[in-house]
Amino acid sequence: MGRPGLPPVAAQELVRWFDGDRAVDGLDLDVQAGEIHAVVGLNGAGKTTLMRLLLGMLRPDAGRACVLGYDATDMPPEGWTHVGHLIETPFAYPELTVHENIAAAGLLHGLDRSRLSDAIDDAVDRFGLERWRHRRARHLSLGNRQRLGLASALMHEPSVLILDEPANALDPAGVVFIRDLLLARKEQGTAILVSSHHLDELARVADRITVMHRGGRVGMLDPSGSELEKRFFALVFEADLAQEQAR
Amino acid sequence: MIAAILVEWWKMKRSLVTLTATALMVILLPAMGLGFFSVAQQGGTGAVADKARAMLVGEGWAGYLGAVDQIAAAAMFVGAGVVVAWMFGREHADRTFAALFALPVPRATVATAKFIVLSGWAIVLSALVAIVTTGLGLVVDVGPFAIATQGPGIVRLFGIALSTTGLALTIGWVASVGRGYLPAIGAVVLILGAAQVSVLFGTGGWFPFAVPGLLAVTGSDGIPPVNAMQIALVPLTAGLGILATVQWWRHAEVV
Repeated sequence: MGRPGLPPVAAQELVRWFDGDRAVDGLDLDVQAGEIHAVVGLNGAGKTTLMRLLLGMLRPDAGRACVLGYDATDMPPEGWTHVGHLIETPFAYPELTVHENIAAAGLLHGLDRSRLSDAIDDAVDRFGLERWRHRRARHLSLGNRQRLGLASALMHEPSVLILDEPANALDPAGVVFIRDLLLARKEQGTAILVSSHHLDELARVADRITVMHRGGRVGMLDPSGSELEKRFFALVFEADLAQEQAR
Repeated sequence: MIAAILVEWWKMKRSLVTLTATALMVILLPAMGLGFFSVAQQGGTGAVADKARAMLVGEGWAGYLGAVDQIAAAAMFVGAGVVVAWMFGREHADRTFAALFALPVPRATVATAKFIVLSGWAIVLSALVAIVTTGLGLVVDVGPFAIATQGPGIVRLFGIALSTTGLALTIGWVASVGRGYLPAIGAVVLILGAAQVSVLFGTGGWFPFAVPGLLAVTGSDGIPPVNAMQIALVPLTAGLGILATVQWWRHAEVV
């Protein structure tokens, strides 16, 4: 699984432009196996663009976005069987039931059809979706759609997990569920890149926290430190000040 | 590929858009053809009766099947175009497009699977239209029926329906590039209009989207027959549309 020489997730001097703006600006970042690396930033900081680059949804203008040792845009198809992701919208087709959506995700993630039935049962059970198993996704609450998206992203037991705001729309019980889920995956050796606006929540699970601003890394936060929010804004403010002075 | 085909089939069979469009085409097309045929046969006066008589290319079964041919050549492009627009445009409208990245099933395979499922649907739909048209004609007794006499007309209806739905596959490219249903629905209307204009100017035979309609009126006064090369443009156009769409899916980004 993966090629030696690079960590499971690696961005190297990564650059992506959008309409004259650098959405990701020379970013270096990595995630090791069995590690949770969180990225935080204001809206438009480049977190989602970074994740899209790592998942081959965008091509870099410069630098490399690598997963399991391969450039994401050159990853052999079978390589993606080891990757799970949830970027913005969950994998939830409104006309399909919860059961059918998870089955579809399993098939598209390369699960063997002989294992599919057990994998669906397991995902429905683990993600607390039994009650809604035969309900169409269009009739689910936002929180349950998010749970369905997570079930779809994780049912094939990936070794790399990339999640953009996974706690979106979840109730407090759902947030705790995500926390336990991430920690359990970490224990199993999964490399996890996660973004969130909830600094306190990230501090409970992350091994490293990278602060992104205007497409670049402006600093790191110590998850065990205090006053994360204050330090986050200080880093962002310093970055803005440095940019102003450079003009 | 089988995984992608299965998933696309599940999505399609659960789709209200597909079910509605299929039911409307299978039921309404023969009914409308029969309606025009009946109005023409009654020999009344007025704009509708004149138009209905102008549509008929013969008496009895030939007239009835010809009326359904002409309606199918236009209406099935709209109906199938809407289904194709949904099939491709929904991934953008429902924001599920990003979920189709970073999978062991490449996007080009997903797009190909969509076309395979749509092609199967187009064949079944065309057959159903031909069968229901024949059944309705038998029930209301539009004329003496013999398979040897009416068989070629029924096969022609199937062919017109299939070539029309086949041409509608090209709408998948518009729905993909336009990233949604609306540009694709707009393209359906534009193409239909362009087909009408091309027929008016006498160049319709070389405009592939007008060919099914021209085939439907072959035999009418003043309509030149469509030649084999012009007919060959129909599958060629559908094929090019499919190739262009698959290529787009292969290289598209999430924006």
